[in-house]
Amino acid sequence: MSRRRVAAITRRLLQQFRRDRRTLALLFFAPLVILALLGYLLRGGGSVPTMGVANLDTGPLGGVVASQLERSNTVSATNMSQADAETKLHNGDLAGYVVLPPDFSAQAQQARVVAPDVRLEGSQPGLSGSILQAVSQSFTALASTAGVHFEPRVTYLYGGPNFDTLDYFGAAFVGLVVFFLVFVITAVAFLRERGQGTLERLMASPLRRPEIVLGYMLGFTVLALIQSAEVLAFSLLVLHVHNSGNVALIFILEALMAIAAVNLGIFLSMFARTEFQAVQFIPLVIVPQILLAGIIFPVSTEPRLLQVLSHVLPLTYAVEGMRNIMIKGADLGWSSLQLDFGVVLGFAVLVILAGATTLRRRIA
Amino acid sequence: MATGEPYAVEALQVSKRFGAQRALDGVTLRVRRGEVYGILGPNGAGKTTLIRSLVGLIVPDGGTVAVLGRRMPSLDILARVGYMTQQAALYPDLSAAENVRFFAEIYGADGGVREALEFVDLWDRRDSVVSNLSGGMRTRCSLACALVHKPDLLLLDEPTVGVDPQLRVQLWDRFQRMAREGAAILVSSHVMDEAERCDRLGLIRFGRLLAEGTVAELKRSAGVERLEDAFLKLSESSAA
Repeated sequence: MSRRRVAAITRRLLQQFRRDRRTLALLFFAPLVILALLGYLLRGGGSVPTMGVANLDTGPLGGVVASQLERSNTVSATNMSQADAETKLHNGDLAGYVVLPPDFSAQAQQARVVAPDVRLEGSQPGLSGSILQAVSQSFTALASTAGVHFEPRVTYLYGGPNFDTLDYFGAAFVGLVVFFLVFVITAVAFLRERGQGTLERLMASPLRRPEIVLGYMLGFTVLALIQSAEVLAFSLLVLHVHNSGNVALIFILEALMAIAAVNLGIFLSMFARTEFQAVQFIPLVIVPQILLAGIIFPVSTEPRLLQVLSHVLPLTYAVEGMRNIMIKGADLGWSSLQLDFGVVLGFAVLVILAGATTLRRRIA
Repeated sequence: MATGEPYAVEALQVSKRFGAQRALDGVTLRVRRGEVYGILGPNGAGKTTLIRSLVGLIVPDGGTVAVLGRRMPSLDILARVGYMTQQAALYPDLSAAENVRFFAEIYGADGGVREALEFVDLWDRRDSVVSNLSGGMRTRCSLACALVHKPDLLLLDEPTVGVDPQLRVQLWDRFQRMAREGAAILVSSHVMDEAERCDRLGLIRFGRLLAEGTVAELKRSAGVERLEDAFLKLSESSAA
């Protein structure tokens, strides 16, 4: 073992990176961006789940519970009528509500049982959990003084008691897995075309730019569609991810995302010289999208400023669309799903145009 | 053009800068159909830049380029041009025949794959994947891709780099055969013995065309026996 030879390799490596400013920037800049984003997401004063309280109790205890909930800092509870709450639940304005029945106080005092109705939106297990926890906490004060049993009757608008985290993430990931893999594969394939000199050859041929883009798009779309079908079949048949929607609709949304990913890959590969640089797009382009597209943290609970950003990202709509279909059983009659499809379609068209226009005849 | 393609290549006062560096400095050059025209010059003289400007990969800062009678860039005319890059630009995961067939289709040629592969002596290896071919075989395969559509103008950027001497002789026989059949061939090289086989030569250095003519003419004007000496002498006298 020669120290000198080892040192030569180490020095050469550092010399290379000194020339590759871009990789250096990524190495020291990307982690800060990602961590700052994460920090802001988790500590930036994000909003808590909103819930409604319909207090119909004729006795005094209902009011105690209601005010306890309204003071809670894990949920944002508002007093409203049951009908109001149900409407807001359907609109997506509420993650759930609790109904304290007219005989609430009487039951608690005589039968030593409190049985409120808890109605949950259900599509986001995290939010449902927070609400159930807040409701049960609001009763603990009551229970210790009166010694009553807490037996809430929980009903769900979407999903159900067996609806778990995989059902929630699965819906998003069915589309995402395809989107990211297709993106990376297209970008790398396109850079290989450039690196091995065949792109120069194609540029010196009678090929027109749109022909190259379309040819690439069709080729990768074939692969992406097979992958989409495989991912979907595995999720539904093997993992039994919850699905209340139309499988064909899921597949169409997946396919749109795949087509967008192909063209995003072509477009972004214009800004990279090597396959190595293409892979660097992952922490810069992909990780922030995963954090902000509502995949892990619901967009509604993000800090206000990040919500604005989330609503600009097309991936947010793709994820929401997938969840709308799979969890809520939405069809194209739903205006929210129309918006999701519209944004994803618009994004696909935009990157197709961007890919075709940036593919210059001149290759530097 | 009314005159019916007098020249396969007509470059007039072509200039190109990359930053402070002059890659081409007022190059005027004409190549007729049926001739093999050699661009001779050292590395970095501007040979590749000149060839790339002929296929529209580089837009000159000054001057004009016409190919087969049409002002470049023109996509239609590119269908009649064959271009072989310096490195063997091929798809390594495809077989030799698949590569040639791909370029045939891009250029709108019907068939010709077998002919092109036989022309470069690769028909026996047609099903070999390119990544398994030797360097010389890849060069030949790349050449087959450039001529599968029977171009009227063939641009070859240092086509015999890395090719063994025996095969090099064979390739040059073929270039001359193609020229006799009516194609124009423009080939760049820095190897003198190859240059001897060109019908006409252009000496290029520092982006400028220093001298032009047949091998005999160049030797005569420099007053020397060997082409190598002619090249050195002519580049010295113009630098002075």
